[in-house]
Amino acid sequence: MPATTAEAARAPSLQAENVSKAFVSGNQRTQVLDGLSLSIEAGELTLISGPSGCGKSTLLAVLSGLQKVDGGRVCALGSELGQLDLRALERFRLQHTGFVFQGFNLFPALSAFEQVELPLNHMGLSRDEARYRAQQSLEEVGLAHRMRLRPSELSGGEKQRVAIARALAKRPELLFADEPTSALDAANGQVIIDILHRIARTHGTTVLCVSHDPRLVVHADRVLAMEDGRILSDRRSEAPATDSHGNPS
Amino acid sequence: MVALARKTLVYEWRRFLPAILAVGFAGLLQLLQIALVLGIFGSTSLYITGSSADVWVGFPGTQSVSLGRTINADLQSRILMDPAVERVEPYLWVDGDWRGAHETGGVSVFVSGIDTRADGLMYSRVLSPALRARLAEPDAIVIDRSAMDQLGVDIGQTATINGRRVRVVGISTGLRALGGVNVLCSLDTARQLDSDPSDDGPTYLVAKLRDPAQAEAVAARLRGDTAFGPYTAWSARDFANISVHYWLFDTGAGAGVLFLAGIVFLVGAAITSQTLIAAVNGSVREYATLNALGVGVGALRKVVLEQAFWVGALGLLGASVLGIVLMLLARSQDVPVVLNVTAALACIILVMGLAAVSGLAAMRSLRRADPANLLR
Repeated sequence: MPATTAEAARAPSLQAENVSKAFVSGNQRTQVLDGLSLSIEAGELTLISGPSGCGKSTLLAVLSGLQKVDGGRVCALGSELGQLDLRALERFRLQHTGFVFQGFNLFPALSAFEQVELPLNHMGLSRDEARYRAQQSLEEVGLAHRMRLRPSELSGGEKQRVAIARALAKRPELLFADEPTSALDAANGQVIIDILHRIARTHGTTVLCVSHDPRLVVHADRVLAMEDGRILSDRRSEAPATDSHGNPS
Repeated sequence: MVALARKTLVYEWRRFLPAILAVGFAGLLQLLQIALVLGIFGSTSLYITGSSADVWVGFPGTQSVSLGRTINADLQSRILMDPAVERVEPYLWVDGDWRGAHETGGVSVFVSGIDTRADGLMYSRVLSPALRARLAEPDAIVIDRSAMDQLGVDIGQTATINGRRVRVVGISTGLRALGGVNVLCSLDTARQLDSDPSDDGPTYLVAKLRDPAQAEAVAARLRGDTAFGPYTAWSARDFANISVHYWLFDTGAGAGVLFLAGIVFLVGAAITSQTLIAAVNGSVREYATLNALGVGVGALRKVVLEQAFWVGALGLLGASVLGIVLMLLARSQDVPVVLNVTAALACIILVMGLAAVSGLAAMRSLRRADPANLLR
């Protein structure tokens, strides 16, 4: 796929135009996103960073179609998410998106392999295809030897890699990650960052990551700093991004 | 397809155990209740189900075997004229007052005067040929094992019924009656015991047909004639149903069964739904993640319903095993318990309905599985 990504990479796959979102609790109205616009390109690891409460998780929810906006437009892969009803949004997510959350959210009863296979069953793939993809994704995150184990037998870093494999096996164009490293130690966090970065590069996936983890900043292709529902700075890494071992990727 | 519902049930069995137990006990309670009621009230049709007669002829409007009146004895030849009828024999019912060898106070007994020939129709299914033959002796009676204490007699001892002496020549099983004690004797003995001088005919005439399948048709045919005074005819099955229904609904037992079924259902559903809701809440983040990945709410609901189904099925299995053991135990103690297909089916429907309602209740908790909540 790398040949085609070179061109596709430059077309924005996610676009927000003048997006606003507020939460009301009691009489208190909190403006979380305030007339925010941005576009995110494929084949890159984009990081949204900022202090807690700055609205970065809400931005992720809005861009991924998990929440509706109060005003403005969100376009993902050419579809305007505001136009889609609940069913259509579910279908859109099933076809095009992957998610990785801070908590790993794995079913205690299922093996790593089954965690990855489960969503694939709902995509209308054949049994063999689902198993092939599950196997491949787990190999890609380096868990080929651990895939028969249940979450209770895996370390935190391994659990997050299973969660990434679960998202990756769907072969999504969009991969959203919310604080994927904050529950992990430095070494495991590093592994996760590398994997996310590699996914963006090798699969041409739009990887949008929300984190306040400073370790991530170095590895992102683009860093958006947020505060009070607005984007303060938009910085591209000048040097080619490198993986954790300093090798050019 | 990854069997999420089943794997979770197996892996987290401790979480689901209360629901399985609740469903199981609800099923067991209902099963035993129905079996007991059917057993007790089924004994009111023992006279019919324990005999091999296909058609019964008795007084019109009779609501239960124990409530018959005498009919004209000449009817016997009228019935025999029907080409479908193979044999006819009289059956005499006498209500008696018992005085045993020991002081027992008054005990009311239901005296059944029957044909004692080896191929007699009455009680052919519950009375052994040897005991039947012994009834031919004058004043001989047979009683049920469970009634020995109640009547205060043992085999070989004498007692009086309606002031006449009788002798216990045998003890049988399966002759339990409701509201009194069954006493079996020959037709001759029964006539001696009948203190009402106005009774001159049999209480019933029972007929065996060449083809038992014709029972309904023959009964209908016999009913049309009025030449021999008031009488009517039933197929054995219809008459047995009439008897059981009379007792079930006239005594309020039927309403009791339904009432308890309602309570059992409510309590079972309350416990089961709470357990299933807790199980859904325990996995709500995982369900939300699946929904974020695009697995529809409908598919998640199916997982919850499938869990409810397995809880119901496992509860039912436990209830069946325990129920069979308890029923065998009851049988060995002469406690009348009977289960038929309809009753078993009713239990299954109740239990699975309970599980389904609980599953539907638990499904509502899936609303909390909103993936946006995961982004905090």
